[in-house]
Amino acid sequence: MKDDVVIELKNAWKIFGTKADEAMQAIETAGIGKTEVLEQYGAVVGIADVSFNVRRGEIFCIMGLSGSGKSTLVRHVNRLIEPTSGEIWLLGQDVMKLSPSALREVRAKRIGMVFQHMALLPHRSVRDNVAYPLEIRGESKARRWNVSQHALGLVGLEGFEDRFPRELSGGMQQRVGLARALACDPDVLLMDEPFSALDPLIRRQLQDQFMALSEQLHKTTLFITHDLDEAIRLGTRIAIMKDGRIVQIGTPEEIVTNPADDYVRDFVQNISKLKLIYAHTIQVPIGDYVAAAGEDLSLSPRVSQDVDLDHLVDVAVTTNQPIVTTDEAGTEIGVVSKDRLLQGIKGGK
Amino acid sequence: MSEETGKPDVLKEVPELDLSDSIRDFAGTNAEYYAKTITKIQADTENIKFWNMAAALLGPVWSAARGLWSMFWLFTLGELVALVQIGKGIWGDLGAAKMAEAEKFTQRASELRIEAANGDNAATSLEIAENLESAAEIAIAEAQALGDNWWLYLLFGVTAFVVLRVVQGMYANRLYEMQYSRWLVNRSIPSGFNWNRLGYAIAILLFIVPLTLYRFTVSTPVSWTIDFPANKDYFTVSSNWLDGWFDRTADTGKEFFDAITLVAQTVLDTIELGLVDTPWPVVAVLLVLVAWRVASIRVAIFTAASLTYIGILGLWEASMVSIVMVGTASFFCILIGIPLGIWFAGNERAYTAARPVLDLMQTIPPFVYLIPIIAFFGTGKVPGVLATIIFAMPPVVRLTALGMRQVSPMVKEAATAFGATPRQILFGVELPLARPAIMTGVNQTILMSLSMVVIASLIGAKGLGQEVLVALQFVAKGQGILSGLAILFCAMMLDRIVQGRFQRQEER
Repeated sequence: MKDDVVIELKNAWKIFGTKADEAMQAIETAGIGKTEVLEQYGAVVGIADVSFNVRRGEIFCIMGLSGSGKSTLVRHVNRLIEPTSGEIWLLGQDVMKLSPSALREVRAKRIGMVFQHMALLPHRSVRDNVAYPLEIRGESKARRWNVSQHALGLVGLEGFEDRFPRELSGGMQQRVGLARALACDPDVLLMDEPFSALDPLIRRQLQDQFMALSEQLHKTTLFITHDLDEAIRLGTRIAIMKDGRIVQIGTPEEIVTNPADDYVRDFVQNISKLKLIYAHTIQVPIGDYVAAAGEDLSLSPRVSQDVDLDHLVDVAVTTNQPIVTTDEAGTEIGVVSKDRLLQGIKGGK
Repeated sequence: MSEETGKPDVLKEVPELDLSDSIRDFAGTNAEYYAKTITKIQADTENIKFWNMAAALLGPVWSAARGLWSMFWLFTLGELVALVQIGKGIWGDLGAAKMAEAEKFTQRASELRIEAANGDNAATSLEIAENLESAAEIAIAEAQALGDNWWLYLLFGVTAFVVLRVVQGMYANRLYEMQYSRWLVNRSIPSGFNWNRLGYAIAILLFIVPLTLYRFTVSTPVSWTIDFPANKDYFTVSSNWLDGWFDRTADTGKEFFDAITLVAQTVLDTIELGLVDTPWPVVAVLLVLVAWRVASIRVAIFTAASLTYIGILGLWEASMVSIVMVGTASFFCILIGIPLGIWFAGNERAYTAARPVLDLMQTIPPFVYLIPIIAFFGTGKVPGVLATIIFAMPPVVRLTALGMRQVSPMVKEAATAFGATPRQILFGVELPLARPAIMTGVNQTILMSLSMVVIASLIGAKGLGQEVLVALQFVAKGQGILSGLAILFCAMMLDRIVQGRFQRQEER
C-alpha cells in the first residue's frame, strides 16, 4: 500500500519569526509550548508536528478555523512555505531535497493549485489565464489554447474564453481558477479554501460540480476548508486542525461518530448524521437480538448493512417491524430496531 | 424592559466608571487634587474652568514639569513678549533713536554754520542750518514724549503677563485632562510631576529670557548678540578646495565624461535626424496621425492646432529642437529609471539609501548642478540633456517601485505555485500589473523634462528655451509669452498622446 501514498508529511513544523531555528531547538530539547515560544523567541508556531498521508485518488480535507494553520500547511506541499523541520514527500520524492529548478518542474507538472481569492491574472483573458501554467512550461500556443478550451469545457465555461476575469462573477472566476489548476493535468490538486469566498448557493453548486469532476478525473486532492459540512460532503478522509496541530484524522463517519476530544465534538454536534452513518454501525448482531413479544423477524424488511440512516428511515416508515440487515451474500447478520434507529440519528451510536 | 421608554434597563442605569486610581497613577505628585479635578472635568458639560493655582503661579515651569510641552512653548513666547515690554518701560531708553536723529541734525547744522561763517553760499547754508535745528528740536521733543510714555509700556507688559498667567491657571486642568486621555492609550506620553523636566525648563528660560530682554531693551546692544560670529575665510577655503576638486575630476575623468557625451549625442542626433531634418509636412502629418491612432480624434485636432500655432509663428525649428531634447532625456530616464525602480521595489535597503538621493535630484535648484555639468561636459545640447535627466528621472523610478510593490502578492504566489521562474514572474505578472503606475511615471518624467527646457538653455541648449531666455534678457514681453505658449503646447501634445495611449488600453 505504501506506493499508493501520494502526499506524506512527517513531523512537519513551521515556526514564523527571526529566531525560528532557536525556537525549534528549544521545542525539541526542552519541549516548550506555544506561549513560551512567543514569549521567549517572539516566534509564532504556524504548524506543529503535523504528520499525515494522502492516498491516490482520495479527497483529503483539512478542516480548521481561521488561524489554525491549515493554509500554512497546504503551502508546505509545494514548498511555497519552507518547513522549519520535518519531511515532505510527494509522489515518492523528497520535496525538501529538490533543487530550485526541479521544484519548479514539480510545481508546473505535478501540482495544480486553487486559491481562496482566485488570484487570476487581471490583464489576461480567461483563455490565457487557464493556459498560464502551460505557458510557463513552454508549450506552443496551439497546444495551450487546445488544453485551455478543454479545461474550460470541464468546468462549464465555454463561451467565456475571450472575457477578462473582472467581467466574470465570483463563482465563475473560481471555476476559471479550477480550470487553470486542471490545465496542466496534475497528479495532485491543492485547494486552499476555494469556495469560502463565495455565497452559499454558488458554493453548493461548485461543490457538486467539483465532486462530479473529481469522480471523472480521480485527482488526488488536498482540500482546505473551514466548513465542516463541506469537509464531510467532499472528503474521503478529514483531518481536523487546531492551533497548528492535527487533532483527529478519519473518515467523515469516524469523525462524526467518534470525535477524539471536546473540540471535535463541538464541531460535529450539529451535523446531520443521516448520510454519514451506516446500518452496520448501529445494528445489533442478529444473534444478540431479543425479539419482543409478538415480533416475527421473518416479517421484517431486509436491507443491506451498507445503507445509510437516511435509507433506513425510508424503510422504517413503511413497517412496524424492526429491520433486518444482510451482508453482500444476503446472509442476515443484524437487526435495527426503531429505538436503535432513533438513537443513531440523535447521537451517532 | 422599562415601562415608559420600552428600552432595556441595562442602558438606563449605567454604573459609574471610576478612573481615579489611574488618574492618581498619572498625576503622581498632588494625586488627590488631580483625581478630583479631572473626574469633575470629565463630568462637566458646561465648560466650567477649574482654577489651577500652581499653573498660574509657576507658569511655563509648571507646564514643563507636568510634560505639557506645547503649552510650555506657547506661553514662554507670550510671556517673553510681555517681559520685553516691561523691560522697555522700566529701564529701556525709549527716545534713544529720536535723540540720535536730533544729534545728527544739530551736528550738521553747526557744520553748516561754520561753512557760512567761511563765506561759502552763506545765505543758503544758514537757511538749511536753521531748518535742521528746528527739525532737531522737534526730534528732541518727540524723544521726550516717547520717554514720558514709559508707563504705557510697563502697564501693557504687566497686564499681558497677568492675563497670560490667568489663562494658564484657567486652562491648565483642561489641558492636563486631555494629556491624561492621551496617556491612557499611549504610555509614552509624559505623566507625573518630573524634576528633570522642571530643571530643563528653567535652563531654557534662563538662556532665552535674559538675552532677549537685553537685545530688545538696550539701545545699542553688544554686536555679538546680533551678528553670528562668521568667518568668511572658511567659505573661501572650502569653495577653493571644491574648485580644485572639480578641475581635477574633469581632468582625470575626461574619457568617462566623453563616453557619456558620445552616447547622449548619438541618441540626440538620431532623434534629431527624424524630427528636424525630415521635411516639416511629413513630421506634422505623422504627429497628427500618431495622436489620432494612439489617443483620439480630439487629441489629433488639438495636435494639429498646436502645430499650426508653432509653425505660423516661425517657432517650428526651435520647437522640434526642444522636443528632440525632451525625447532624448526621457529616453534615458526610462532606460535607467525603470530597472532602478524594479531593483528598489525588491530591495528595501537599496531603496532606503537611494531615497534621499532622489529627493535631492528633485529639490536641489537646477542652477546648482548646472555648474558641475558645465565643468565636466562643457556647454551645448548634451549637458542640457544631462541636467534634464537629473531633474526628470525621480518620478519614473519612484512610481515604478511603487507599482511593483502594489502587485498583489496572491497573484505572485499563484504564479510561483505553477512553477514560474522569477524572470517569468517579473515579465508575465509584475511588470504588466505595475504598468499603470509605470506609465504615470513616464508621463511625469516627460512633463518635467519639458519644464527644464528654459533652464537647460542657460548652458547653451537651443530651442524654445533659448527664445524665452532671450526675451527675458531684453524684457521682450510679447516674445516671451509667445514662446512660452509654444512650450506649453508641446507639453500638452506629448502629455495627451502618451496619456491617451494609456487610457485606451485601460478601457479594455
